Amino acid sequence: MPITGAAPIAAPGWTAHKETGVRIVDCDVHHSFESPEQLLPYLSKFYQEHLYDQGVHFAGGGYPNTPLRKTRNDIKDPGLKRRDFNFTLEFTQRELLDPWNIDVALLTGSPSDIYGAAGLPDPDYGAALCRAFNDYTIEHWLERDERVVHAILVAPTDPAQAVAEINRLAGRKDTVAVHVPLSTAMPLGNRFYHPIWEACAEHGLPVVSHIGGGGATGNTMTPVGYPTYYMETRMARPAAASAQAASLICEGVFEKFPTLQFAMIEVQQLWAVSVMWHLDFDWKAIRDQTPWLKRLPSEYFRDHIRVGTQPMHEPARPEQLPWMLDMLHADETLIFCSDFPHFDQNDPVTVLPGISDHMRRRIFADNALEMLRMPDA
Amino acid sequence: MAAGAGRGARRVVVGKAWEIPEGGRKLIVPFRGRAGIGVFNVGGTLYALRNICPHNLGPLCTGHVSGRFVASAPPSRAGATLTMDRDGEILRCPWHNWAFDITDGSCLGDPRLRVKTYPVSIEGDDVVVAYAED
Repeated sequence: MPITGAAPIAAPGWTAHKETGVRIVDCDVHHSFESPEQLLPYLSKFYQEHLYDQGVHFAGGGYPNTPLRKTRNDIKDPGLKRRDFNFTLEFTQRELLDPWNIDVALLTGSPSDIYGAAGLPDPDYGAALCRAFNDYTIEHWLERDERVVHAILVAPTDPAQAVAEINRLAGRKDTVAVHVPLSTAMPLGNRFYHPIWEACAEHGLPVVSHIGGGGATGNTMTPVGYPTYYMETRMARPAAASAQAASLICEGVFEKFPTLQFAMIEVQQLWAVSVMWHLDFDWKAIRDQTPWLKRLPSEYFRDHIRVGTQPMHEPARPEQLPWMLDMLHADETLIFCSDFPHFDQNDPVTVLPGISDHMRRRIFADNALEMLRMPDA
Repeated sequence: MAAGAGRGARRVVVGKAWEIPEGGRKLIVPFRGRAGIGVFNVGGTLYALRNICPHNLGPLCTGHVSGRFVASAPPSRAGATLTMDRDGEILRCPWHNWAFDITDGSCLGDPRLRVKTYPVSIEGDDVVVAYAED
């Protein structure tokens, strides 16, 4: 049944006043291609044949059972068969950047379309797909709007190729981060990955890690196996983020690379409080196991790890939200993420009601600008 | 006059009855503000809802209409059935997927929430929505 008259609602911001006087840096703006064949011009002949012959090798990238096929119904194009909308810069400008007054949009790719490349069993094809996706992004997104920057996608399955890709693109002004999807075969603190972190530190680029990727199929894995339903998958994410944060801290990554920062995206927030509190508690008792840690684990967390706002908890008692922000040191650790254009996106107007102006500036702009080293944005 | 449209009530013709066949909807934008309303035809009866989701202000009335999903037991139990009832009466917001009962505006997932509803009637060929004067 057609939706009579549904088409032109002016803008997603129509229900509320635009934010003014506060810059908005959105650290999770998804982008993609319309079909993987758009990567062909950026692939070698060898991997063009792979793509023709075998496709991209991954299904789902951690999002196989997401409601609404992931994306907001109100911006779907009913005339399209293959996708929900034409994923283009113009679409993102029209539906996100312009109506919501986004000053800086960090492109994070698309979980189901490309994150699987980061965990492919074939690390060479994974690296080739990441490289092609970065080049596609540069040509079709970055060179046409100054608000748009990107976290270059690398596959951690072959650190040497990841480092080469970082070295290739780090000099670009619009390269402001390196994206390693959060689901991995080994925890990210493992020394196997250190060459990647070293390259990031050398170039002054933070790592941005969005949930997904890794297993390349199915839901995010938990410590006890694969979950069945999407609600369960959501609860796997804080566990994954906790494990990655603890690994990065305990393995001494931030002692080794003291300028490295690491953002974890779409993994919720409250886990970070528990990681900080309980690592401190344990460190006081069993620090002999990790004597290279010179400071409280929470201090490493506050200096080095950043947490995305989306999906934000909605406590049953709203007055508990500021308590959580306080426990989280949100004025240091929290960065605004919309997750546009997914169905569970958070808009900048309603996501954090009633917070102070100071907290608003930190969460919506300054924490991210400092992490991305964009003082002039 | 429609129920609830008492003293101080205003009545607005928002369209023709043939524009909203059974199972259909019409969005009227703007209507008492930029967000507008949606008028839905469920089984021959019209309902008007404000196009603002009481959860996070999403454009509720542009969402998917279907039913309520019902399980007699977990699917691991022999004989358990998974069904949908009230097909056509449940509206899901395109932002966050919260479900609302079109016939009374109540939120299926959170009994404290309700989307604003307006009395609506058909007079001749006209669809008429009433609202209380502020």
